[in-house]
Amino acid sequence: MLATVLGALSSGFLQTLKLFAITLIGSLPLGLIISFGSMSRWAPFARLGNRLEAAGGESKFTHFCEWFKPISLLVKVIVWIVRGTPLMLQLIIIFYIPGQLLPGGSPWPAGDNGRFIAAAVAFIFNYACYFSEIYRGGIQGVPVGQQEAGQVLGMTKRQIFFKVTLLQMIKRIVPPMSNEIITLVKDTSIARIISFQEIIWAGYSFLKGSHGYSGLIWPLFFTGVYYLVFNGLLTLLFGWVERRLSYFR
Amino acid sequence: MSVLEVNALRKSFGEVEVLKNIDFTLEKGEVIAIIGSSGSGKTTLLRCLNFLEKPNGGTISVNGNVIFDGNAPETQSEAEIRLKRLHFGLVFQSFNLFPQYTALQNVKLARELLAQERSDWKQNRKAILAEIDAEARHLLDQMGLAAKADFYPHQLSGGQQQRVAIARALALSPDILCFDEPTSALDPELTGEVLRVIKGLADKDTTMIIVTHEMQFAREVADKVLFMDGGHIVESGPPEEVFGNPKHERTKHFLERYSGT
Repeated sequence: MLATVLGALSSGFLQTLKLFAITLIGSLPLGLIISFGSMSRWAPFARLGNRLEAAGGESKFTHFCEWFKPISLLVKVIVWIVRGTPLMLQLIIIFYIPGQLLPGGSPWPAGDNGRFIAAAVAFIFNYACYFSEIYRGGIQGVPVGQQEAGQVLGMTKRQIFFKVTLLQMIKRIVPPMSNEIITLVKDTSIARIISFQEIIWAGYSFLKGSHGYSGLIWPLFFTGVYYLVFNGLLTLLFGWVERRLSYFR
Repeated sequence: MSVLEVNALRKSFGEVEVLKNIDFTLEKGEVIAIIGSSGSGKTTLLRCLNFLEKPNGGTISVNGNVIFDGNAPETQSEAEIRLKRLHFGLVFQSFNLFPQYTALQNVKLARELLAQERSDWKQNRKAILAEIDAEARHLLDQMGLAAKADFYPHQLSGGQQQRVAIARALALSPDILCFDEPTSALDPELTGEVLRVIKGLADKDTTMIIVTHEMQFAREVADKVLFMDGGHIVESGPPEEVFGNPKHERTKHFLERYSGT
């Protein structure tokens, strides 16, 4: 019995890890792009506003011209929606709604593969929005003087970002990131709502009946051990990264 | 021909006019000290020269070439400004060393990045890097910091950090080295070592603009003193005159307050 349960839980946990890994791979870079979007200062009417202000003084319209930054605004609204609604709901919408709307039916492949892809899309987008806010805090937390020192030394914007700001930002975001990533390990269990067969699903199956057993509750409890061990390893890893970056302040 | 010529320079932040018609010239090897109370526009002037702020009008010329023209302010591209900046070096009040690099790496970084744009970078990479390394070590040695080359900024005292920052600015051999209150963030016992280093540079005919609250130092080191108040240069001249025989009421008033302390 034990071997059967451990086998089923382990293959469930493999699915958990798969979703965890793909979410990180997708959302870490996407989050950075979103954070740049939310910090975008592109204001298409700013010059018009300045000219009107020079000609006729300030008005509601000139204020609007300065305030209106479409990229930043759009990104902020998206982040608000994604962070403001449950991941479970987003998962359901992403999995079921395209099939209802698109004439060709659901774009997701049939079976487990489709469930995995839909879950990955929902998780990547959701976590990218959370990460973007952490990145933003990290970038804006680096003192302006660092950027100015780079500028005065004739460095390009690119060089300043990669050679000066980036590592200082990484050092700042490691603690909040590790928090978020450990939450992600456990959040993968939400994918069960679209029957993605991760470890909680596997544990629960012994209660409902599968592999010739039913009414077994302990396999479900035992899934906690997997989470604990894996998150323990992650905690060690983040501690190591923090120590590696402790050579500067 | 003057190294630097500033004409009718103006800068406003919104409604507030911080610089009003600033005119002055700086000759090669000359040291100008800018004094004045906080908010008089001293720092903004330095930041305009270094393109950290964009002036609203006037011109800035270096070696006879106009590098900023208030009548055509939109024509400057990012890349152009970057090259023009290299005429100036700036030492900040708060040092702004890069914390993740050692003292030596701080001094070398910008030069190494610039060297990568040289046409012979690929062939002579090793020789170029060796030269930059040697010059950076020499600069740190000049600052009395040879033994601290491999220390990170947080392992150095404020005075040492500021001397690294001076070496970092010198590494690009700017035509004009600017100091923005270089000792204001330092404990009193650490200001001496930084002022000595700056004095040493003045003795070697480095062209400098120094914004400072250290009146005694300004008097010793400067060839010309500018007193700024309310965005104007109220009085300028040799230190003996500005300090010894100030002509304007405001200058007298300012100096009295300082000599009182």
